[in-house]
Amino acid sequence: MKPELVDPVEWKELTDQFDNEFGYGVSKALLGDRAPVTISRGDTKSFYLVPRDWVGSLEEERTDFEVYSLGIRMGDLKEGKFRLSLQILDALAELTDKLLVVSQQGAEAFTYSRSIIKESVIKLDSHLKRGQRVIVLNKDGEVLGLAALSVDGNRLKRLASDRLVGKNLVDIGAYLRGA
Amino acid sequence: MANRQLRQKAKELAKATGYLPYMIERYLALWGEKETIQFIEACEEQITTSVRVNSLKIDAEALRTRLHIKQVTLKPVEWLDEGFWAEFEGSPGSLFEHMLGYYYVQGVPSMTVTKVLDPHPGETVIDVAAAPGGKTTHIAQLMENTGTVIAIDEDRQRIKSLESNIQRCGVSNAIILRGDAKKLDRLGHTPDRILLDSPCSGEGLIPLDPSRKTSTSMADIRFCATREDQLLEAAVNALPSGGTMVYSTCSIAPEENEYIVDEILHRHPDMRIVAIPLEFGSPGYSQPYGVELNESMTLTRRFLPHLHGTEGFFICKLEKE
Repeated sequence: MKPELVDPVEWKELTDQFDNEFGYGVSKALLGDRAPVTISRGDTKSFYLVPRDWVGSLEEERTDFEVYSLGIRMGDLKEGKFRLSLQILDALAELTDKLLVVSQQGAEAFTYSRSIIKESVIKLDSHLKRGQRVIVLNKDGEVLGLAALSVDGNRLKRLASDRLVGKNLVDIGAYLRGA
Repeated sequence: MANRQLRQKAKELAKATGYLPYMIERYLALWGEKETIQFIEACEEQITTSVRVNSLKIDAEALRTRLHIKQVTLKPVEWLDEGFWAEFEGSPGSLFEHMLGYYYVQGVPSMTVTKVLDPHPGETVIDVAAAPGGKTTHIAQLMENTGTVIAIDEDRQRIKSLESNIQRCGVSNAIILRGDAKKLDRLGHTPDRILLDSPCSGEGLIPLDPSRKTSTSMADIRFCATREDQLLEAAVNALPSGGTMVYSTCSIAPEENEYIVDEILHRHPDMRIVAIPLEFGSPGYSQPYGVELNESMTLTRRFLPHLHGTEGFFICKLEKE
């Protein structure tokens, strides 16, 4: 389980998907002057962004110590699906407009693993489509987690107040729950 | 107090207070009767909760304002810019600000350990026995997320909580390694500083966990002392010339603290204890139980429940010539 620089072809596939979902150029901005590295564990590949000057020493063979994680965890690729980590969401929120802002009550429910219903939504762009992953923010712009839209943004006004808008994918309550 | 008298007194006190007799016997030999009773009484008092503001995510004033609205009072810890005594209405870990990584619930002695290490931006720092990450995240904070913090732990479950805390606190300059820190000299990194907050008997944690009055035998303390010696030896061997290290434990036992450091000074004449330029605690012991140790042992520091209102802790700063 040695960290390796991400293969350029694989990185391109991943960033194309990423940019498609969160906006053109987002993955490049996210990477900044860091290097992408990966650690394979069974059928899961974890991706990390690390300072470039770490790369040389990371690829050295170490028998006594196993690298468990490093730098910023970007997410995990499993069975073709890329699960974003909580850690990357703060930076991602600065770069994308795929955002969903919720009320205080909605924020509390969301951080208890609940999904988001219409009455909790303060802001959602009408151009966003069902299935889109959105970063969930509270009214102060603090990142609470990630959700998948259950409806098109332009249909929000027509929904009843108790209807599902965003399915909870991951939230910061996981830090307390130990998930 | 004569030996027989001491044993009898220890037996009586142990029975009355729920401790194992060997513990009281050692306290009596170390401190005398009056101070032993003060210690026992202090261990029945609750330790005030404390938090460390995570300056990677928020400044102290902003956090103070936010928590004030939630009826949380923060009072500064004199020698720690980022440390606060805190009074919470409910659980300190359940607030939104905690999930957001704005603060870390951490004992004042633990925060002090990292402050004594004094890591600087751009350095390479090794944190041995790092989980659950209080000190790792503090080191990263003091290094402003630059340089490299190498956090080592052996336990898979504990490493998960280490990673979780690193992510919650927005730390981006850490490498988590799983492995046996006794093999530190084979790591292949040259650190500027090493922090070894060693796994120990936890004898200083009695105020937080009363079960420790009876859960640890003298054999356990000897076992811990052997492991502490091995870990410190490995850390010293991995430290380059001119490097700094901090050795600490949450034990009050001289057998796990001053004795261990004294042995290291004997084996490594290039190591020396250096003064800690912060005002806290009280000096370590240079003659515990009447045993003569290196006199620079008084430069080490101790936190003790009956003197400082905290859990018991030992902190020693060392440098390699």
